[in-house]
Amino acid sequence: MKKFVLLLMTLMFTAVLAPAGALAGGGGDPFLGEWNLTTNKTVFLEIHKDKFTGKYSLKNEAGEHELAKRGKTSLVSGEGAEQSVYTLDTSSGSLFVTTGGTALEFRKNAHFITLGPGNIAFLFIVGLIGGMVSGFIGSGGAFVLTPGMMSLGVDGLVAVASNMCHKFPKAMVGAYKRYKYGQIDLKLGIMMGASAVAGVLIGIDVQQKINEMWGDAGSNLYVSFAFVVVLVVVGGYVYYDAWKIAKTGGVEKVSKLALKLQSINLWPMITFKRANLRISFWFTVPIGFATGLLAATIAVGGFIGVPGMIFAIGLPSLMASATELVVAFSMGMIGSVKWGMLGLIDIRLTLVILAGSLLGVQFGALGTTYVKDHLIKVVMGTIMLMVAVSRGLAIPTYLDELGFMHLSQGFVHVLKNTSFGVMVFALFVGAFIILKAVIGGMIAERREAKAVEVNHGRV
Amino acid sequence: MAQLSKFDKHMTAVAFAEAGEHETARTMLNEAAGSKKSPAKKHAPASARPSALKVLVLGVFSIGLYYSVFANEQIVTDFYTKGKWYAALPILTVFVFSFVHGAFASDLLSFCGIEAKKK
Repeated sequence: MKKFVLLLMTLMFTAVLAPAGALAGGGGDPFLGEWNLTTNKTVFLEIHKDKFTGKYSLKNEAGEHELAKRGKTSLVSGEGAEQSVYTLDTSSGSLFVTTGGTALEFRKNAHFITLGPGNIAFLFIVGLIGGMVSGFIGSGGAFVLTPGMMSLGVDGLVAVASNMCHKFPKAMVGAYKRYKYGQIDLKLGIMMGASAVAGVLIGIDVQQKINEMWGDAGSNLYVSFAFVVVLVVVGGYVYYDAWKIAKTGGVEKVSKLALKLQSINLWPMITFKRANLRISFWFTVPIGFATGLLAATIAVGGFIGVPGMIFAIGLPSLMASATELVVAFSMGMIGSVKWGMLGLIDIRLTLVILAGSLLGVQFGALGTTYVKDHLIKVVMGTIMLMVAVSRGLAIPTYLDELGFMHLSQGFVHVLKNTSFGVMVFALFVGAFIILKAVIGGMIAERREAKAVEVNHGRV
Repeated sequence: MAQLSKFDKHMTAVAFAEAGEHETARTMLNEAAGSKKSPAKKHAPASARPSALKVLVLGVFSIGLYYSVFANEQIVTDFYTKGKWYAALPILTVFVFSFVHGAFASDLLSFCGIEAKKK
């Protein structure tokens, strides 16, 4: 009966929150951009926002004029009979312009790039490597793909939407593979997925408030700051823990924090059979919530989710990284539905990335069977620390935009390119560590099998 | 006899632990205790290697799906970005591609001998 009540609570929680819009991975200001009249695409308007003052302005054939914000979903211009109200319908993504009782529907003109062999090859390779890292550590690739797509000229929101639409099927395939290896605690994954959705919603709200107060530069600074703090603190600890384990013979132990939390009897206590542990439901909620919050902020929730499951709940690294794929699937699918309803998924980009990532994620998943548990932490810690460096390099550029620092354009350009380069390099380093360990493990296994054949007995 | 066998296993596990083979020691202790295996089972169930024909058929099917999308990319992009209930199109498409291309990728890896570690 208790199990039924808990599962029902989880399902209701997700069903109520999901339609409210899981715009994970950063949404940006939905008003901004070029809009076309649905009945006549030659009629357009552009909405801009000043980075420093946060004031909106409208540009169309008639000229440019200021818009005032009214509530969360409306902008207004003019007064009295000449007033126009621009209302965003968040469920359909349409902008309704009402003047003198007449409403016109505009849809956002998202730019969909032309795909050539170079773009396709780039997306396939990054998808392949990102998939491998995801299959191994439970997350990864997303933080490179969005800026990677934008560097090809893809609109920011289209990049986020297309990335998310590839993420959930990749996570599904990876989760299925690792479930077959007995590495997933499905109950825990579903419960954390539900609380992650709540975290995503609140994270998006925080993002939007910061954007309203300090503009795009302020949002970018907040995101980069979050990257650096979380990744340095958590990534540093994960790496240190992996190093400690490697020094003491490679046997992972349950952390003291997890043992302490498991000993606290706070109803309802949940038994996770596959993970072989019993812990209060209330200790799983903050980790799922933080995962969603981080996903909404930096697009990768697993950097909190996986360490949280290891150090706070007490899962072995293998199970934590595998179960994270279930959480990623939940958040990804809900977010993709929302982006799809806004018409922002470029299915071509999604499918090219999937072509690589479905191969990579399965390789990464089977790779976990050849390595010791602590290597998951080594790969995760390495990537996190390098990405922290990457975002740290970008912080001065945002401080410059906000006027707190003065840097030359050339230096800003160098910092931005170096930041992106370090991020891509982080992914490649992670992939290299995985490949080396897996190939080494496969060669050792084949040698062992040959030795058994030769000796006609057990080792 | 059963008790002696259990004693043997415990002593063997101690020997492995002293030699630094902690994983082996733990496995032996689990076997001796007759308890559940370690929750994070690392080894995959054995599976037959797929035939070249199966891999080829799946590969052709996968390529066919990709071709059908990219040969009609303008129409596909127009429909898939209409928004509202058209959101079902990209979601269903990625599910179909995941099953077909995912199965192809899995069989391709197995065919090339790249599989999970066996018991």
